[in-house]
Amino acid sequence: MTSGRPNLFTTEAVVLRHSDLGEADRLLWLLTPQRGVIRATARGARKPGSKLGGHIDLLCYVKLSIREGRELHGISQADTIDAFRNVRTDLGRLSRGLNIGELAERVSVEDAPAPAVFRLLVNSLGWLATTQNADTLVRWFALRLMTITGFKPELGACVDCGNELEPDDHVFSAERGGLLCPSCRSQGSDALHPASLGTIKVLRHLARSDFPAVESLNIGAEERRQIERILRSHTNFVIGRGVLSSAFLDEVRDWPEVGPVPGGIRAD
Amino acid sequence: MNSNSTPSAAPPVARLIEAFSRLPGVGPKSAQRLTYFMIRMPREEAEALAEALISVKDRIVLCSKCLNITEDPVCAVCTNERRDRTRICVVEEPLDVLALERTRAYEGLYHVLHGSISPVNGIGAEQLKIRELLDRLRDETVTELILATNPNLEGEATSMYLQRLISPLGIKVTRLARGLSSGADLEYADEMTLANALEGRAEVAVDKETSTE
Repeated sequence: MTSGRPNLFTTEAVVLRHSDLGEADRLLWLLTPQRGVIRATARGARKPGSKLGGHIDLLCYVKLSIREGRELHGISQADTIDAFRNVRTDLGRLSRGLNIGELAERVSVEDAPAPAVFRLLVNSLGWLATTQNADTLVRWFALRLMTITGFKPELGACVDCGNELEPDDHVFSAERGGLLCPSCRSQGSDALHPASLGTIKVLRHLARSDFPAVESLNIGAEERRQIERILRSHTNFVIGRGVLSSAFLDEVRDWPEVGPVPGGIRAD
Repeated sequence: MNSNSTPSAAPPVARLIEAFSRLPGVGPKSAQRLTYFMIRMPREEAEALAEALISVKDRIVLCSKCLNITEDPVCAVCTNERRDRTRICVVEEPLDVLALERTRAYEGLYHVLHGSISPVNGIGAEQLKIRELLDRLRDETVTELILATNPNLEGEATSMYLQRLISPLGIKVTRLARGLSSGADLEYADEMTLANALEGRAEVAVDKETSTE
């Protein structure tokens, strides 16, 4: 990854968060395969005509040349690999893209390699650009992310006693990290979420399959609600707090598809 | 800046350094430089600066119509009878109004949202001045809403959100053109900018009187 010049390295990255810095600079939180989350400044990126500005918008998958710094790195060159245009020009896809990006950032550690999380995010943003089943993608992503970071919920046996679960309705505890059998559910005062047999089957299918295999899965309304509650409580427990972008996702979830307003062209 | 980082500064000096370091774009070193510049400043200049700060806090309000920063209950743009009242240009920040006014190309009214939708920072539509905009659109005789949010992902999200809310009201919604900036080289343009420029391309008008035959 290191280029010929000292203190300069090149890396692929996905832009996950940014804030304004100084007169016209931008501070970026980037997910990279070799260094996990890194923070880097992009000088002049907020000025029109900036060579960096258009490449480093949120959710852009980019190749960067970076000058290494003690606290903050500095971006010297940026090239877009994929801007996921279909994601950023549709409010529903966009809200889901930001949601999975935030999840990936929250489970990643600064300067710790995260090649599997990085690849999962890039692939998922690619699928999000085309899929007709974006909610299933978000659920699959959350489950896969938990699996590759070592926080996979226990879905096969009771998480407390380890006994195999009967093919029946059960409950899920985020605090204990999985499904509970009838005799263990009454022990403890943690919040329990209902998990019907149908919900458990879908969760197991999501956990063991790649996204293309579950993309066309037809999930019932009640199962969707239960899966949503189970996965959210589990991810919130793992990252220690709620995912901020979930509120916006919930607000626009059922809106009809809204594309961009054509620039300079009247939308009537 | 805490007292650990300026161990030898007198308490009033440390207080001023801390106050400066809260300003956007001012780091600890700049805050120290500004503080020691102030210490050497003549008393009357320091008093004028302090008075200007207090005056801003005491006298500046948000315009009751467009929510831009103003000294009066209704700003100069909103009270100007010559402005086109059928158009409202929606911007993120008060500074954007100044930028658009400098062009002298727009004669309509404004509406300042005071931010943009930023889901990853927990900023949703309810934290922006969107409800006030909808109230204006119901009350006023507006026929066109121009969305002039920043051409980045959060600005686009805000625009798409507003489009969804406002389209059912039967008001024409337009968006500032996006594409190549004046003086830029095509080879450095990113794919989004180029795609937007292609989408928003306009037919080149030929002036029949000056064209060669």
